[in-house]
Amino acid sequence: MEFMLFLLILLFGIFAGALGATLGLGGGILMLLFFTLALNIPIHRAVALSLLAVIASSSMAGSVYVRDKMTNIRLAMVLETCTVPGAVLGAFLALTMPGRYIEAILAAVLIYAAIISFRQAKSEKIILCEDRLGIGGEYYDEAKKTTVRYSADRLKTGLFASFLAGIVSGVVGIGGGIIKVPIMNFIMKIPIKASAATSNFMVGVTAAASAVVYFSKGVLDLQMSVPNVLGIMVGAYIGTRLLAQTQSPYLRILLGLVLLFFSFVMFLKAGGALVW
Amino acid sequence: MVSAETTISWVLRIGVLLSAITLIAGVSLGEPILWLGALILILTPFLRVFFAALYFLLHKDMRFFVITLYVILILVIGSLLKF
Repeated sequence: MEFMLFLLILLFGIFAGALGATLGLGGGILMLLFFTLALNIPIHRAVALSLLAVIASSSMAGSVYVRDKMTNIRLAMVLETCTVPGAVLGAFLALTMPGRYIEAILAAVLIYAAIISFRQAKSEKIILCEDRLGIGGEYYDEAKKTTVRYSADRLKTGLFASFLAGIVSGVVGIGGGIIKVPIMNFIMKIPIKASAATSNFMVGVTAAASAVVYFSKGVLDLQMSVPNVLGIMVGAYIGTRLLAQTQSPYLRILLGLVLLFFSFVMFLKAGGALVW
Repeated sequence: MVSAETTISWVLRIGVLLSAITLIAGVSLGEPILWLGALILILTPFLRVFFAALYFLLHKDMRFFVITLYVILILVIGSLLKF
């Protein structure tokens, strides 16, 4: 591979990893847009590369989350029983689909992502209900200096949504944090901090379940994987250690508008109106 | 005794670091090493699930042990399926 291309992917990876960690976006969507729109890589190969980036960033962030005991491993496992089959199914579906279908689905996912980023995360109104399965949990809130206890509401809806999130993740190559966090936070009423940490765990496993399918089909470009993975790792490191997580409403609205713009571009590409 | 969280945290760090080193080495050593580096990265989250299973087993939490085994089973089937 040319040196310039290597450098370009590496630098964008650092940017996407850092921005992803700051915005809680994970970086998968940004890498995917970069590979398809800037580098014009065929969508199936772009999805495979993006999945690898997602695994790298989630594993980087995960080592911090797990250590801080925010992750609810029981809840993660219960939801994984549906997400993982979805992720495998999604990857197989994607590999039989023409590229422009995937681009159209991606465009729709971008609209959804824009809506989510316009909407503010629900803050801690915790409902304690009967916890028959034992998937509630607790964590220590550093800011409030208290232990927060919570339980999981509407498990069936959560499981079904998790299955869909898995399929979407396998088809368009995002880990699906942007779907999983709202499922846990809005539907199952898990506090946002526990949702984010638990989603991070699930995202890594979901992306890996899809990635292994692309990998064994030889769709993953190994040469490009190097700057892709290294860039994301460095970026995620910078993002999680050096930059503060931001909740700025202006930034979220800006991000939403950017996502809407790229959704429009992706629809044009899917429709064949955009060729270069 | 080392807690489950600390162990998983280290597994993630070692997996990421090992795959980064292997990928960098692969640039000069060639495709098989690159392939190995990518594989290590993909297997890192799988290991996380594996350790979760171990954690539930050690705590005699059989219901969640079985749930985790089911997830591992799907992961393995997904890796081996051909169409």
